Amino acid sequence: MFNELVIFALGLAASFATMPLVIKKMKEKQIGGPDIHKKNRPFVPEMGGLAVLAGTTVSVVAVVMLLPEMFGVAASFLGSTLIAGLIGAIDDFKSLNAKVKPLLTLFAGLPILALHTYNPMGLVFPIIGQTRMTMVYPFLIPIAIAVTSNAVNMMDPFNGTMSGPCALITVFMLLSALLLGRSEALVLCLCLLGPLLVLFYFNKYPSRVFSGDVGSLSIGAALGAIAVIGRLEVVAVVAFAPQIMNAFYGLSSMGRLYERREVSRPVAILEDGRLTATKDPKAPITLARVILARGPLFENEAAKIFFVLAAISGILALATAYLIMVTP
Amino acid sequence: MIRRILDFVFILLFVWACMILGLWVIDRMIVPMQLPGITDMFLTGILKVGVSAGLVLFWLWLWREIVKKMFWRAMKKQ
Repeated sequence: MFNELVIFALGLAASFATMPLVIKKMKEKQIGGPDIHKKNRPFVPEMGGLAVLAGTTVSVVAVVMLLPEMFGVAASFLGSTLIAGLIGAIDDFKSLNAKVKPLLTLFAGLPILALHTYNPMGLVFPIIGQTRMTMVYPFLIPIAIAVTSNAVNMMDPFNGTMSGPCALITVFMLLSALLLGRSEALVLCLCLLGPLLVLFYFNKYPSRVFSGDVGSLSIGAALGAIAVIGRLEVVAVVAFAPQIMNAFYGLSSMGRLYERREVSRPVAILEDGRLTATKDPKAPITLARVILARGPLFENEAAKIFFVLAAISGILALATAYLIMVTP
Repeated sequence: MIRRILDFVFILLFVWACMILGLWVIDRMIVPMQLPGITDMFLTGILKVGVSAGLVLFWLWLWREIVKKMFWRAMKKQ
């Protein structure tokens, strides 16, 4: 228990120490952009995800030192997170094509395959139990990591709506790991939770920093890696419901992969500062647009709905974990 | 605010319940299914996977249609 607390505290402290430096550096170099959902469009520095990567790396080093038997698990988790972070950093500097980015994130699954830190039998479902997917499962791992990283990347419309729900997903995956006795998942959740809480503190309304793709892609890949390594795949699918909903609605309404800057905006700002869903039939039907369809809301109010949805999905994920536990 | 949240709670619960029900259908009905006139195990396996995949696609389609209807109805009211 003491080791786990140290791992969590070190990640939190390292991220908290790094974040102000990242913000200062990004402000100096003018790396960032306008907060488009505010009337005065203030400049907000980007790439706060770098502090998340720093905190996660420190936590993983602590895992290797305190729990050396978890070296393989920790190394594959950190490898996946850093590869996705690198792709995100490239995207932040030089925008990648909407088709290239998901393809590149497939590589983030390679450390898990190389170090063989997955369940060789395959998925564990509630009601069905353990399946035998020894041939197919390894091919699904890079796809799973690409899906989680891109789904998280796509759901960052308002201040704090990426970091907050991801922190909640991590908490519910941690509780599921406790329920199912998955110690690897528990430790990896603790590695990610501290840095995520720090990011949320700085990224919540009104944002002092944006995570950038370096943050969203790496956090999504880290959560995907926890699901695969910790054998919590189905639990993660349920916990990820808002992100999956957002990506699925957006992609199915557009009929193709798209970049935010390529398509009509789904949300517009009114004179009084409230946000409204646009009536443009060419704009993607994103979760933010569906939430605002009933009428305009202020940004912080809309963000709260995202948190409630993440909490409800988390409770359902916990119920799924319980069903897995009672399945013979 | 509450109404908006309830809309999504309904969708999430519906989608989750459908997933659990679908898993039950796959486990209790599709997996033990014996197809009359087909003795080839490989072919039977492929057919079972095909039926299960069809069920998943129907689930996704239903999910999308509910949200699309909800979205455009709310937009019209607005």
